[in-house]
Amino acid sequence: MKKPGKGSTPEDRTLKELGDLSERLKDLSGRIAAEKSERAESQKPPASLSGATSYAKGYRLASEFVAGTLVGGLFGYGFDWLFGTLPFGLIVFLLLGFGAGILNMARAANRVPPAQERLGSNPPPKAAYDDEEED
Amino acid sequence: MANDPIHQFQIQDLTAPVSIGGYEISFTNSALFMGVAVATITGILIMATAKGSLVPGRLQSVGEVWYEFVHNMVRQVLGHEGKKFFPLVFSLFSFVLVANMLGMFPYFFTVTSHVVVTAALAVFVVGLVVVVGIAKHGLGWFKLFVPHGVPLAILPFISLIEIISFFSRPISLGLRLFGNMLAGHIVLKVFAGFVVSLGALGLGGIIGAAAPLAMAVALTALEFLVAFLQAFVFAILTCVYLNDALHPGH
Repeated sequence: MKKPGKGSTPEDRTLKELGDLSERLKDLSGRIAAEKSERAESQKPPASLSGATSYAKGYRLASEFVAGTLVGGLFGYGFDWLFGTLPFGLIVFLLLGFGAGILNMARAANRVPPAQERLGSNPPPKAAYDDEEED
Repeated sequence: MANDPIHQFQIQDLTAPVSIGGYEISFTNSALFMGVAVATITGILIMATAKGSLVPGRLQSVGEVWYEFVHNMVRQVLGHEGKKFFPLVFSLFSFVLVANMLGMFPYFFTVTSHVVVTAALAVFVVGLVVVVGIAKHGLGWFKLFVPHGVPLAILPFISLIEIISFFSRPISLGLRLFGNMLAGHIVLKVFAGFVVSLGALGLGGIIGAAAPLAMAVALTALEFLVAFLQAFVFAILTCVYLNDALHPGH
């Protein structure tokens, strides 16, 4: 912290004091950072909590997939009912629903970012509870 | 009756059947336990906030933890804008949690084990997402279904998939809660039924009944966890979906 080439004692003292201060400042900001991360850590009990049960997670993934396919099938059936094209709407929408189910599942597992995040314009919504370490 | 695992889910009229315009609106055991759930929440929270001491007592701590848990969840997912949805998320979380927990009492009816109830909650949540989204962003909210940067050739398919994915939300939200509660209670009842059936066989049966009994105890613990977890999942997914209403893709 001492600059070489300066001899006078008072200046030296102020420099020393300043060095002391910046040291303390560094120390303080370090402590604040530690406190902050500790707080952030303690403020998300959900993550560790549901990390404890892969059961809930598995169930969630399964239901997302089933729901996607189911809704696709329903859409297809509704389409056919409206236009009288019985097998074809069902086939197409069932496949699309299958895709939607996969997309749902991938999103639930945090494999695919939600639509707005892919655009990079908004802060990502933190899916606080399904970001476990799995594989 | 003792061994019928489905019997516990039967809806029974508690009063004489009442119907208006062809719709039966009798007071059932389901309605009773919804009322009990709401009364329990209200009672606990009123008692918890009655004193309001600086150093919280036991009950006040429960209330504070309860409040802060949901508050943190809403703040983490929705940010500051989400403050106005806090009462809604808190109510949903509390209702589902207390209804699930009440269902863990023997002979109590589990409100959330009926798909009508959970689907109504889920449809309400997703309906609210649509209403809030359109109110806040106008028709621009529908850009949620049209992600940018997708080649024009496959855009219709992507949009359709996004739309189907959106409509699958109420179904997965409602089905998950309903399925978890129904399956859990049936499994619990089946294992408890094994204990009784085996116990009736004599000494060997009683010794053999130890295994399903241990299982039933373990499952009871698991069911308490599931009851909490499903309420939590329901609430946080409500937040995640509301986030789509507040910040659709631009």
